[in-house]
Amino acid sequence: MIPKKLRALGLAATLGLSLILAACTVPIPPTEDIQSDNRAAPRPELRDVPGIVDPDNTGWPRGVEGLNGAVDIPGQPARIITASIGHDEMAVALVPLERLVAVGAVSKDPTYSNVAGLLADKPEISRDPETIIAQEPDVLVTSPYFPGEGVDALERVGIPVVQTALQHDPEARLDAILLMGYIFGEEQRAAEFTAEVQQRYDDLVAITDTKNPRPAVLALTRYSDQIWVAGEGSTEGSVIEAAGGVNAAVAAGISGNQTISLEGVIVMAPETIVIAQPIAYGAEEFRQDLLDDAALAEVPAVKAGRIHIVDSKLFTTLSFWNIRGAEELARILWPEDFPNLPPEGFSRAE
Amino acid sequence: MDGQYTLHSFRRLGVGSRLAIGLPVLSVLVLATGLVSLRLGPVPINTLDVVWAALSALGIDGPSVDRTAQLVIEQIRLPRIIVGAAVGMALGLSGTAMQGLFRNPMADPGIIGVSAGGAVGAVTAIAIGLVDLFWLALPAFAFVGAALALLLVYGIAAVGGRISMATLLLAGVAVNAFLGAVVSAIIYLLPSEGPLREILYWLAGGLDSRSWDHVRIALPPIAVGAAALALTARDLNLLALGDDEARSLGVRTGATRTVLLAASALVTGSAVAVSGSIAFVGLVTPHVLRLVLGPDHRVLMPMSALGGALFVMLADMAARTVIQPAEFRVGVLTAFVGAPFFVFLLIKNKRQVYTL
Repeated sequence: MIPKKLRALGLAATLGLSLILAACTVPIPPTEDIQSDNRAAPRPELRDVPGIVDPDNTGWPRGVEGLNGAVDIPGQPARIITASIGHDEMAVALVPLERLVAVGAVSKDPTYSNVAGLLADKPEISRDPETIIAQEPDVLVTSPYFPGEGVDALERVGIPVVQTALQHDPEARLDAILLMGYIFGEEQRAAEFTAEVQQRYDDLVAITDTKNPRPAVLALTRYSDQIWVAGEGSTEGSVIEAAGGVNAAVAAGISGNQTISLEGVIVMAPETIVIAQPIAYGAEEFRQDLLDDAALAEVPAVKAGRIHIVDSKLFTTLSFWNIRGAEELARILWPEDFPNLPPEGFSRAE
Repeated sequence: MDGQYTLHSFRRLGVGSRLAIGLPVLSVLVLATGLVSLRLGPVPINTLDVVWAALSALGIDGPSVDRTAQLVIEQIRLPRIIVGAAVGMALGLSGTAMQGLFRNPMADPGIIGVSAGGAVGAVTAIAIGLVDLFWLALPAFAFVGAALALLLVYGIAAVGGRISMATLLLAGVAVNAFLGAVVSAIIYLLPSEGPLREILYWLAGGLDSRSWDHVRIALPPIAVGAAALALTARDLNLLALGDDEARSLGVRTGATRTVLLAASALVTGSAVAVSGSIAFVGLVTPHVLRLVLGPDHRVLMPMSALGGALFVMLADMAARTVIQPAEFRVGVLTAFVGAPFFVFLLIKNKRQVYTL
């Protein structure tokens, strides 16, 4: 015979345990439908955007094709996480800040992020899926570098994850904005913003495209005595081209970002060198070393003192902010054509 | 069959004969590799200009050469080649010493924790941002890290007053694992990505942008350590017979081991300080040379110095030229070449390598 007190205790413990288990299995709150509207009109600008499964479906649920496969987004996401700097910068432009519930530490670092100041108070996530689950996001948009196991774990708990690769060519950049706008249910804002980005780019290249001959420009960094050069397909290279320069590394057969010796710099004979490296990580010392190196004395950029330290986040973080980088470089290359400072930033969602 | 017979006969020659044949052969190969390496690079320079520019850089006057060619040879290629040779020499020598001392064919300069200690020192200097303030911080920290690691391993092995080789080996394994974890922890706790890049490239080992400053840092301690190791070659042979036998033949076993360890740490620490971790040189070089020359350390020590230099110089030449004007990592190349070659040697010669 079990004593009454013990039975009562057992009952209470069972109830308590049941409550705890129930709490643990409560699903993440359902996606909040901010403007769920299945009868919304089709938007022609979405037609050829890679990743949008059905451009005519501007209602909910909607499907997108990420690098991780097909993803259904049940309703307009109210709580958004975009786990890469480039995606964070786009998200800031497309949705009100309160909908971005958390960001990675790098996006809060002003050395690398163009929106660090805006995100300073946001909770931080890491690649540990639990830190993301804790924020109860309705969607996670991230880069291909996010670990596959992490994506699986998040999908298992019902969080839609879309992995997209950001590109630096002008058309792909606009497509990325439109796709993110579609994922967030902000097609109108995305359309307005792509028009703004396109305008900034067009205004720039309307001048730089007319330049002939174009100066040979080299984008260099130095980390731990190793000199890195940005070649074909690099973000820095795309900025150089947009600014009206020729990437000297491409002519020398460099693809992507690779290490070179000082001899490589001599052979590439740049007329301008840009150092897209934070001052805090030795950019000024590197510049001085290049200027002081006797072996480089005959390199046109060194001879003319045309070695410029540029804001690395505008040159290396892959997003529409690269246009701002190109504007700054264009002012260096063609000061007479760009006498005024370009607009400081880009518009943001209200 | 003939080849094996020739090798066997060569190993049976006297020490003087083997050195008389081996040293000039390897010296010529090292010099020739150095000259070819000087000739190769993104900036095209004709052979005569290379020779005159190199001689001029070494203080021997000759006809004047193009200024850019002169500077490229003098300021870029020559110091790099000299640092590469010094690093290879250090790793080859200390590998030979460690394999002899521990009587273990798997021993290499890393076994006493020196490489891992150097890595912790270098990674710390990068992580706290010292390298951006003071360029000498990286080699200095690497060297101090290497020395502290050796003291730690030696201290653990010396607990109780008597140093046993087995304890030393196990202490080295433990300290290596611990220091590897320290490097991982530093990387994991880095607040931003900038230093991460520097750390990863340093750990991959390389000779990028080596200058005369690096020559000045590395060469004196490597020369001192190499001399000390060369002087212990005879005693190292006798230690292989066992401690009692060695003592009866006049070897001060404790002092000899201390000299061997300290000198190995000195040369390895100096090498790591200027090149990062370059793998397989200390392991492969003594193996290859032992096959050809036999296990006598009086022959093996000087030849390993030259062999190590040759290995690193060849790897660096390949690293500089295979994808020029871009560069490959020397440490990656030595591992790519060294590991399969080592396996090949093990399979082909497993019965002959350690027989006297």
